[in-house]
Amino acid sequence: MKSFLTLMQREWIQHRFGWSLLALVPLGLSLLLLGFGQIELQDDSVQNAGPALPVLVAMGTMAVSTLVVFFILWITSLILVSGLPRRDHADRSIEFWLSLPTGHAHSLAAPLLMHLIVVPAAALVIGMAGGWVLSAVVVSRVVDVGAWFALPWGQLLLAMAAGLVRLLVGLPLATLWLLPLILLTMLMTAWFRRWGLVVLVVAIGLGSLVLEQVYGSPLLREIVASLFRHAGQALVASGQYQFTVQGPESVANVLASLPRYVAGDLAIAFGQLLSPLLAGGLAFAGACFALLVDWRRRGASAVG
Amino acid sequence: MTTASVEPLVEARGLTVRYGSKRAVDDISFTIPKGRVVGLLGHNGAGKSTLMKAMVGLAPPEGSLRVLGLDPRRDRVQLLESACYIPDVAILPRWARVADLITLMSGLHPKFSADRARQLLKRTSVGLSDKVKALSKGMVVQAHLALIAAIDARLMILDEPTLGLDVLSRKGFYEMLIDEWCDGERSVVISTHQVEEIESLLSDVLMLNEGKLVLSISLEDIDARFVALSHDTAVAEQMAAAHPLLRYRTGPGPGGSAALFDGQPPDHVQALGKRMRPSLVDLFVALTRKPELDRTQF
Repeated sequence: MKSFLTLMQREWIQHRFGWSLLALVPLGLSLLLLGFGQIELQDDSVQNAGPALPVLVAMGTMAVSTLVVFFILWITSLILVSGLPRRDHADRSIEFWLSLPTGHAHSLAAPLLMHLIVVPAAALVIGMAGGWVLSAVVVSRVVDVGAWFALPWGQLLLAMAAGLVRLLVGLPLATLWLLPLILLTMLMTAWFRRWGLVVLVVAIGLGSLVLEQVYGSPLLREIVASLFRHAGQALVASGQYQFTVQGPESVANVLASLPRYVAGDLAIAFGQLLSPLLAGGLAFAGACFALLVDWRRRGASAVG
Repeated sequence: MTTASVEPLVEARGLTVRYGSKRAVDDISFTIPKGRVVGLLGHNGAGKSTLMKAMVGLAPPEGSLRVLGLDPRRDRVQLLESACYIPDVAILPRWARVADLITLMSGLHPKFSADRARQLLKRTSVGLSDKVKALSKGMVVQAHLALIAAIDARLMILDEPTLGLDVLSRKGFYEMLIDEWCDGERSVVISTHQVEEIESLLSDVLMLNEGKLVLSISLEDIDARFVALSHDTAVAEQMAAAHPLLRYRTGPGPGGSAALFDGQPPDHVQALGKRMRPSLVDLFVALTRKPELDRTQF
């Protein structure tokens, strides 16, 4: 366990500077732009919100901040993960890592966990915390400082916490859905170096086309599309709930109902896990992981 | 060294390592008991690095290979907890600071001492806050050696460990290795081309030639088995007639020739020259040179 955590710590040591920049620069820029730029509210529902305007602005700011920081770091992590198998070969430090008593499976799993779960989860928390600070600026600019202090913080924080929990729980669920594609990409990169991604895209594209045109089966295309769709639904909004804001009361209702909505949405997301597609996808991901472990072990023999 | 001993640290029987159809290590057998400093000698491509990789589970062996009583391939992680290894192309991760490496080694190696590593690094020109990518090649090697020497292992396997180090640093490292790391229980296997520098440190020698083990012997036994005779060039033909392993020059002038024999040469040949201790380099050349070459021709 200690070595697994240390391998995760290695990711932090290696990428901490980049991760910090990616999280803090957008927040810093937003702070500057929102603090000194011009803010225009164009959405009718927001403009007509009346006394609920500060709540809507604060919620919107926190939501956007959370999602922006999250997606920046999540996409960066997905890109980094695709190159994980070969990165230590690239800087020739692989021999150093192979001389340490860590298993090949651990050496692959620890960075995966760090990049796919821990860092995006941290991004959610940082994004929301940053959004809280930004909300003070935006509400002050749009209404006044007093309006920010006068916000119904109890309800608002409960609603935002519910949203954060939804995303934090949804993240590993979405990762499960995407795992077959992520590990397949890693395997292709391991086998074909920088051409791995090209080979994968061409293989899936051509494979889908051939299956559809020649055999009349859209199976491959539907599987890939379905994995992405389910990942999106697992991350957020797998339910059918529609928010409508028509006045201060409805805003209060939305805030109050958000925790209940989140619980229901999560239940749907968990329910979707009972799927043959996911079971098959995870079995496929497991096979890809085993091949990656074997590739790393064989690579160790061939190094030098 | 091939003499049987209780629980050898390394035991190879009919060991072969292939890369495709090429036999990098070809059917070799040897043992390494505890408390030995073994020099692994051979030309480039002789199979030294491959043998060392096999000993730490990074190359697939055929035949029998036990290291610290373990199967290196199957028990690699467990083995590396008690055996430390510096590969020949070792490069520390460029993004790390030296202090980061100490942190990581502390978490990844149960027998690594961070205090000991810091203590060893103080003897070098490498600072804890230095980034690896800012260090010279020699400084990287110094840092790596300090990290590895801070592991409380039973077996140290060093593949060209001092490549890129200046003479003083090499001397300092070997002194530390023998005076501080070796304790009579631990063993070291060193591969190097700087044979003269480590000859005085070694207790045993393994010589590889094109994957074959051509010599496995303790240094004491070398003196008993091999005989070098320095002689005058006037008796060179008589020496050659006795079929020495190698004829070579030891210095300028008519008395600067020598012949190396495996075993005692006949008395009349011994009478022609003066017995001297064969150096490891001469033995190495004699046993691993191409047969068609003779150093007297250079």
